[in-house]
Amino acid sequence: MRPGIEAVVTLERVSKTYGDVVALDDVSLAFPRGRFVAVMGPSGSGKSTLLQAAAALEPPTSGEITICGVEVTRMSETRRTEWRRKHLGYVFQSYNLLPTVTVEDNVTLPLRMAGVRPDRAWLGQLIDRMGLRDRMRHLPTELSGGQQQRAAIVRALAARPDVVFADEPTGALDLRSAAHVLDLLRELVDDLGQTVVMVTHDPAAAARAHDTVVMADGRVLDVLPAPTAEDLAVRLARLSGERVA
Amino acid sequence: MIRLALALAKAGGLVVVFAAVLGGMALVTGTGVLVDSAFRAQPPLRLSGADVLVSARQSIPLKEEPDIALPERARIPGSLVASASEVPGVAAVAGDLAFPAAVGSGTAGRTADPATAGHGWSSLALSGRITAGRAPRAADEIAVRGARVGDRLRLTAAGTPGTYRVSAVVDAPGVYFTDAVATALAARTAGRAGTVDLVAVRAAPGVSPETLAARLKAGLGDGYEYATGRDRADAESPGAAAGRGLLLVLPSSIGGISLLVVGFVVGGGLALSVNRQRRDLALLRAAGATPRQVRRLVAVQAAAAALPAVPFGAALGYFLAARFGELLAGIGLVRADQPLVYGPLPAVAAALLLLAVTRVAAWAGSLRVSRMPVVSGLPEPRTPSPGRTRAGLLLMLAALGLSVTPLAVRSEAGMIGPGIASIVAVIGLALAGPRLVQGVARALAGSRLMTRLPGPLWLAVHNSHGYALRTAGAVAALGMVVTLGLSVVLTQTTMAKARSDEVALGLRGLVTITAPGLGGVPRDLLADVRSRTEAAGMAMTTVVTEPMLTGDDPGLMARPAMALGPDAEGLVDLDLADGRLSGLKGAAVAVEEGLGRVGRSMDVIMGDGARVRARVAATYRRGLGFGPIVVSRDLAAAHTTTGLDSAVLARPADFGDLARRPGLRFDSRAAGPQAAMASAQTLVNVAVLAVLLGYVLVAVANRLVATTTARREEFAGLRAIGLTRRQLRRVVRWEALLVGAAASVSGLVLSAVPLVLLSVGFLARPLPAGPLWLVPASILAVMTIVSLAMELPARKIMT
Repeated sequence: MRPGIEAVVTLERVSKTYGDVVALDDVSLAFPRGRFVAVMGPSGSGKSTLLQAAAALEPPTSGEITICGVEVTRMSETRRTEWRRKHLGYVFQSYNLLPTVTVEDNVTLPLRMAGVRPDRAWLGQLIDRMGLRDRMRHLPTELSGGQQQRAAIVRALAARPDVVFADEPTGALDLRSAAHVLDLLRELVDDLGQTVVMVTHDPAAAARAHDTVVMADGRVLDVLPAPTAEDLAVRLARLSGERVA
Repeated sequence: MIRLALALAKAGGLVVVFAAVLGGMALVTGTGVLVDSAFRAQPPLRLSGADVLVSARQSIPLKEEPDIALPERARIPGSLVASASEVPGVAAVAGDLAFPAAVGSGTAGRTADPATAGHGWSSLALSGRITAGRAPRAADEIAVRGARVGDRLRLTAAGTPGTYRVSAVVDAPGVYFTDAVATALAARTAGRAGTVDLVAVRAAPGVSPETLAARLKAGLGDGYEYATGRDRADAESPGAAAGRGLLLVLPSSIGGISLLVVGFVVGGGLALSVNRQRRDLALLRAAGATPRQVRRLVAVQAAAAALPAVPFGAALGYFLAARFGELLAGIGLVRADQPLVYGPLPAVAAALLLLAVTRVAAWAGSLRVSRMPVVSGLPEPRTPSPGRTRAGLLLMLAALGLSVTPLAVRSEAGMIGPGIASIVAVIGLALAGPRLVQGVARALAGSRLMTRLPGPLWLAVHNSHGYALRTAGAVAALGMVVTLGLSVVLTQTTMAKARSDEVALGLRGLVTITAPGLGGVPRDLLADVRSRTEAAGMAMTTVVTEPMLTGDDPGLMARPAMALGPDAEGLVDLDLADGRLSGLKGAAVAVEEGLGRVGRSMDVIMGDGARVRARVAATYRRGLGFGPIVVSRDLAAAHTTTGLDSAVLARPADFGDLARRPGLRFDSRAAGPQAAMASAQTLVNVAVLAVLLGYVLVAVANRLVATTTARREEFAGLRAIGLTRRQLRRVVRWEALLVGAAASVSGLVLSAVPLVLLSVGFLARPLPAGPLWLVPASILAVMTIVSLAMELPARKIMT
């Protein structure tokens, strides 16, 4: 990481094992504020585990995770959830919207649970940016996939978090919708100064980020600043090839 | 195949199947034991030395239903004794008599029923042996068990008190008089001279009881029963035979209902299990499995869940049967000395039935999923059709209409409307439930109040709306528990109150004197009481009539009836519509208004089977308390086992030394003929209902556990977007509360309407009589079960 830039989330020698399987192997990494970072790697490389650990969704087997300057691995479950709710947003591959309530209620659900009054101006700006103004009173099932994911992005950003984690946000979308969502994510960072960390296995998606972290076998191999999709595709192909060999 | 089936099985649904089969086994085995006992139980036999007992017919055969057992003894000619002794192969013959005999105090001569404890000495030859002393010779000599030779005992025999000397000690129950005295005592009742109760016959060595019975039948004629083996006990005590008939009738009705409920519960469990593996089953189909194979796989899973439940359920069933037997004996519906038989047959039959039900349910449950086209993947859950909802609402409306009947018809028939109403309403609720729950939840979710609710409650309301179909089944089932529980119990207690109120009105200002331990009121008592105050004799008996009330059996039906004489005129107030009670002489009856006209005659079969053409002397309005028919005391005396009054009804007075006479009981309140039957029925109904509703509760709890366990992903998603564990627990708690409240409210409303109308009709007040604490208790039970069934598993699957 370049000095002088504040890190929002820091991982210090983080390992995670499931039984005999090592998903994360002694990973140390920092995510800087105001950047769009992609985490890329073949399936089984540990990129999703990395995201879940960094987002304090699942405690690591060993190591320390610092979110906004506070070490979270030793917090109680409730404290950690509250800390996460305040500082992190999360976007899921499967949107994770409640099918029973309207888009509007979905978007404000974390705020409601935190007992925080929504910032109407900020929310309005996000809704307009995501093009959902006329969709807020609908149920999620009445929206297209891209619209649902955009609603999930509004929800992740509603509490003005310090960082948004996105786990394969375009994995369930068609090419056009995916490109649109990626553009929107990039704009959030460039225009509004947000921080986004995105896990993807798609080189084209990773190429939209500022930096790309390349992972394999639970380790970080490289951090590439502004790579092209072609570079990343080659890199990924070689990784897969090595694994086969 | 089996390994694959078990690997795919999802525990939740199969646990429901296991529990359903367990409960079903228990219910069916339990009722099976009762039925089995009715066929095979061997009640104790007094005349155990007799191989064949000749008696009158103690039942009325019916074409399609079980025979009507006659509880009062019908006599046979004494001349049969002599005829029987001439039949070849007979070793010994005794003419047996049984009449009331009760020793004033102590256990000497004690038997189960004092009304039939007195016998002649010759009966002992076939019932026991003399252990000390010599046979009674003088008129004041007796033989008993449990006394010493030479003791002097005060005894009430056939309603006449006297002092007797013990001349012999015997090893058989009962009190034995000389044959001359016994004949005199037994013949005190009109029309019994020269008759005996039974002819007891012992076979000569080498002659089988069956052969002997056949020879006796050839010699004495077709008009009698020739009982051998187990049947001898029925011939000996016809009352017990009548009670055992109940063992047969009761469980067959219970067994039918429970099998139905078991079918539904097992089917529900399997549907749940299949639903949860829809994805896997679809994959199997895509991988080339035929629909048949998928159905077989589901059947294997169902069997795997059902088989382990069989032995435990059977054990539970035997336990339940024992408790139920105690209950029936406790309320006098069957005799305490009539043991249940615990054979393997009920369990085997129950196992076969339950496994068959499971098999059918598995087939029906997997039919849809096994037939779906391979490509379509996941079938959408069915939404309830508007027709179904409309039918449900219509049924609930119809239930309201039915519950109005008590306002118009103030008799036993009036109670039928509300009784059916609650069942119709429950079916309506089951049909319209999903839409109703959805509608109510939508109204809640859309209300302005919502935005001010705390987050977890807000989410709980929205979940209840969005997933209404998920919980509607539970709401309907729990609502059914509340409705049926409240309406069945409170309808019966309200009716009991209405009956006893009428009896109290009819017997207002009277004291009832009974002698339960003496087998009947002593003969001299009525005259004694009359010398002090106005008094009338009253007897209870059984009569068999054509149907009289709405809801009676269409054929003949036995019912308890009160017997009054002309002396009841001016004392007992039946609220006469026509005629006078003073006309209750000879073959006469009084009937409820509308069932007959004064001066006409009607056919009645008395409790001993005698057909009587009786004149209608009066009609009355208090049929609710006193039953549809009152017979004359003259009729009762001639056609009951004891021939004695059951009670003396008297105006209060100074009874002097009477009050201290042993064996007498003075009561200021009296029960009508309906009360005894009704209270026994109430208890049985409530006990059966409790078991059934308990079963439904367990089944519902099981389903709730399974549905909650299936929400793992949903909970994980909520946790990921920032709900703390505490908040998630609170969401589930609120959801449980909403489900419980919806069930309680719907159950209360559906039961309240018929109950209030019933109370207004019969008690002239809106509040039903009986245990009103059942209302909060049932709500509490529903709430507790829902909370446990949702919160505990939710806690477990939260990550």
